[in-house]
Amino acid sequence: MTPAPRLRVSASPRLRVSVLLLAFLSPAAFAQPTPDTLLRAMRDELSRSRGLKVLSLEAPYFIEYTIEDGDSTEISASLGGLLSVRHNRFRIPEIKVRVGDYKFDNTGYVGSGYHFGTHYDIEGFPLENSYEVLRRFLWLETDSAYKSAVEAISRKRAALKNVAVSQPLDDFAKAEPLKKILEIRQTPLDEDAWSARVRALSAIFEAYPALRTSAVELSAVETADYYLNSEGAEVRIPDNMIYLMARAEAQAPDGMALHDAVIFQSLDFGRLPAEPELRRGVAAMAASLAARAGAPKGEDYSGPVLFEGTAGAQLFAEVLGRDLALNRRPVMEPGHNGSVQVSELEGRQGARILPEWFDVVDDPTQKEWRGHPLFGSYAVDREGVAPVPLSLVEKGVLKTFLLTRQPVPGFAGSNGRARLPGSFGANSAAISNLFVRAAETVPAQDLKKKLIEMCRQRNKPYGVIVRRMDFPSSASFQEVRRLMSNAEAGRPVSAPVLVYKVYPDGREELVRGLRFRGLNARSLKDIVAAGDDNNVFEFLNNQAPFATIGGASYVAESCAIAPSVLIDDVDLHALDEELPKLPIVPPPDLRAEAGRP
Amino acid sequence: MASPALGVLFVCVTAAASAQSSVLLDTMSEELNRNFSTLKAKADPAPYFLSYEVTEEDYHGVSATLGAITANGHGKSRRLDVCVRVGSPKLDNYHQVRGERTQFTSGALLTFEDQPASIKHRIWLETDRAYRLAAERLIKIRTNSEVKVAEQDASSDFSSEEPVVRLETVPHGRFAADWAARVRKLSAKFSDDPGILTSSVSVSYQDETKYFASSEGNRLRYGRGFARVVVSAQAKAMDGADLATSETFEATDPGNLPRDEVIAAAVERVAADLRALLIAPEASPFAGPAIFSGRAAGVFFHEIFGHRVEGHRQKDEEEGQTFTKSVGGKVLPDFLSVVFDPTRKKAGNIELNGSYSYDDEGIAARPVTVVENGVLKAFLMSRSPIQGFDHSNGHGRRQPGLEVVSRQSNLFVESSQAVPEARLREMLVAEIKRQNKPYGLYFRDITGGFTTTGRQGLQAFKVIPIMVYKVYPDGRPDQLIRGVDIVGTPLASFAKILATSDRPQVFNGYCGAESGSVPVSAVSPALLVSEIEIEKKNKSQDRPPLLPFPVEGR
Repeated sequence: MTPAPRLRVSASPRLRVSVLLLAFLSPAAFAQPTPDTLLRAMRDELSRSRGLKVLSLEAPYFIEYTIEDGDSTEISASLGGLLSVRHNRFRIPEIKVRVGDYKFDNTGYVGSGYHFGTHYDIEGFPLENSYEVLRRFLWLETDSAYKSAVEAISRKRAALKNVAVSQPLDDFAKAEPLKKILEIRQTPLDEDAWSARVRALSAIFEAYPALRTSAVELSAVETADYYLNSEGAEVRIPDNMIYLMARAEAQAPDGMALHDAVIFQSLDFGRLPAEPELRRGVAAMAASLAARAGAPKGEDYSGPVLFEGTAGAQLFAEVLGRDLALNRRPVMEPGHNGSVQVSELEGRQGARILPEWFDVVDDPTQKEWRGHPLFGSYAVDREGVAPVPLSLVEKGVLKTFLLTRQPVPGFAGSNGRARLPGSFGANSAAISNLFVRAAETVPAQDLKKKLIEMCRQRNKPYGVIVRRMDFPSSASFQEVRRLMSNAEAGRPVSAPVLVYKVYPDGREELVRGLRFRGLNARSLKDIVAAGDDNNVFEFLNNQAPFATIGGASYVAESCAIAPSVLIDDVDLHALDEELPKLPIVPPPDLRAEAGRP
Repeated sequence: MASPALGVLFVCVTAAASAQSSVLLDTMSEELNRNFSTLKAKADPAPYFLSYEVTEEDYHGVSATLGAITANGHGKSRRLDVCVRVGSPKLDNYHQVRGERTQFTSGALLTFEDQPASIKHRIWLETDRAYRLAAERLIKIRTNSEVKVAEQDASSDFSSEEPVVRLETVPHGRFAADWAARVRKLSAKFSDDPGILTSSVSVSYQDETKYFASSEGNRLRYGRGFARVVVSAQAKAMDGADLATSETFEATDPGNLPRDEVIAAAVERVAADLRALLIAPEASPFAGPAIFSGRAAGVFFHEIFGHRVEGHRQKDEEEGQTFTKSVGGKVLPDFLSVVFDPTRKKAGNIELNGSYSYDDEGIAARPVTVVENGVLKAFLMSRSPIQGFDHSNGHGRRQPGLEVVSRQSNLFVESSQAVPEARLREMLVAEIKRQNKPYGLYFRDITGGFTTTGRQGLQAFKVIPIMVYKVYPDGRPDQLIRGVDIVGTPLASFAKILATSDRPQVFNGYCGAESGSVPVSAVSPALLVSEIEIEKKNKSQDRPPLLPFPVEGR
């Protein structure tokens, strides 16, 4: 059914050559592209669904079918023993129906996205390509999505009888229908080899008895993303990701709980670091956490802070990245108390948000940077829109935002940044590859000297260097909840993991138990110097606070490339919490156990 | 260790060795002794009891709908449940306090490989966690018991029992590779029926081994398999009512599940029942005489009687305590006895889901006669004693991750007033005429039900029948009806049982309560009751799908 897409695009001879080359490299590519039954079933049922309407109720003006068709393998181990090995073949359909029109539809209401009424008892979507069965499932799912949409728009209209909307905006922006059918290749994961590797990596922690808990987890997902809509978009793209994480917890002698994680990730199964590098990374994290558990507690501090290396990129990814997306408040019944996280940058387009020697570009189309594959690259977003490079900040001035097809004040029209599911029937915008560039830099190694100099001028006994932040956070959900509820005004920012006091003589001292206070996107205006380094920080973004690992079911592969930065005025305060006591029973002697036959 | 090839070899070795190895149990015992002795010497309050239960599960499952696979998976897991008791058996951290539910264990994931370092470390962490919660709660309870009035039941919190040491060889069934092809083929039989919106045929097998060690010296390894075929179908009537029919088959070994012809016949029945329900008239509220088929009667007894004889409910002052003071008194008609017997593995040729050799507190399973000739004799007991019952009778059960309470096993309803099924029907017709009712009811199948045993709720039950027929006294054929639930109150309902048939039927299923989902069975003959009440079922207001069934592509 689907014409051979490789042949269709290879109109130019140059392209044909590259395709042939690829074919030689990958045996799977020899196979003729098989007719895609799933795609055909989606196309046919979507086209039939345009006829949906109930007498006296409106017909759908927009229908969208998304199916993630894939395989996942998850392997976890602790201290040399496998905890679980799970392979999952899945198809996750997501069907959205909009009734009304682009100006006013069923979304953007506090009940949008909820399921009203009939829920057909669909236990699982067919994993096999039976055209009729696929049609039948799509039919039922469309039916219930349509009924929910009709219910939501009538409730929204009712709510609007009683509340006035200050800024009437359209509910949905038009977009060019994209046709992009890419070939999907299977590269099965060697489950046994990876099980052995995960087990072996988890055994590294046996040498660190000071750590309370530890685990190594591998997740490899290979997906074909299908996206079709009634405007004519038809997309099929591969979407693969491999992710290896080692995490651990420790308890300091005073009882303070500490945690850390090290993560390796790639869009390409074959491009995770080799085993020796993985082992080094895991051991370094374990040693660093053990050292932190033995370090003294930090004290309250107010003054210049150097975000060095990874921490600089993490800072931009978190505090700038999250505020570059705008959230729209939904229509609510009067008295309904729904809070929406408001961006610090809302309404500040045209204003200076960084020193004038800073530029910020978000570019998902770039696949590599100085030989390093970029983790935040993607071809099409969740709304079937191909993203374009965006110049977000020019000479310190905010130019635009990350946008989806949901219009926000001042902007209508997507720039292809719908990367995560959002609230009230919309999607959320998020960064891809965020390039933060400073035109005026100092050699990175001189930033520490500059920090010391600033402290000297201000008669401070020491300055502070942050080398890594807990972003995305490896904290437990209880801890995240505590952090959120203890947070003062504004959105809290991730805790710093590696914090060093720097004395005037250059000596450094690792301290623990500090949190930022009042650090946010506005703090970036106080950057006084940037290094000439470029730190590539890759991470899985999600909608949870601090992008907490495992905190939300949808993730967006992301990357920030940024220099180290010195910020003038940052407040750190010492954690003041009740601390759990140390265990009464000492831990078992792991090395004795490991040595047993 | 670093080389993947070596690692793979390593898996094979451990997998083979763990088939019936005692590494896990030995490791559990060692870590139990180390933790218990240190806590006893150093902790305040000190524990007087510590036990570890590990539930090992090897799972296989495959489902299909209309000839296409929808799920196909397998997995292996071990979960750890820790029980730490601080204080004394008279008053400990498990003491029931009004309105509180205790939860100390977490069902932590343990490595499924026989790796002592990994196992011990996780056991140590979980013991520490459970101990902290236990100590904290004991202090609260001591305060509570000084402030509140004395509880009516002054029984201890933990019974003394003889420890058992027994390592059974657990039989392991084999989940055949051809199940995917079989369910694919079987599920395709629903395809011809456009009225059936969704349907599935699935098969699963859980190979379960339990390991138990305690500070009293228990050391147990035992287990069994749970194989199951589920055939189900759903539809929506023109008035919006959601309809569903299903049939299941259970066995301990997947090799003993029925042949394809038998499952295919079940698919036919499930589809035929659903088709019949789609055109059946909606029933009106009614009270009158009825027959419960054996399977329906089993569920009926499980819901309205079984949950009320679970021991722990007798001392919880939030509970309705329907039978607490009735021991030695008449609770059912003279001709009925009720026995719970987890040691019986079969009824007729059907394997029972509620069979086990030990409960989750390491107590050997045994038959318990709860009602003898209508007189209440006993309750189902875990190690939580109640007035007049100081010991467990092997009914302390749980799903991994939850705390043990007393639960049902295999319920048997036995009757000394049994008549052939045909005679029971004649008796129903006579009863309809005697009461001058236009019709009576026949409940052929009940999916399940629920009951409130708490004092704050109504002491009532609701049972959800699927296949209900009107039985006319004038000999007209029975008429299928839909959209009803059975409602009632327990004491009034038991008094209305008039007779039973002589043919017991088996209902195998899973029961959900405080301690999670546990496998159970109910075996009962058909029952004739002089009066039962049905009410209209709550139903969806949605229309059936707006677009017609999608036509075939080409």
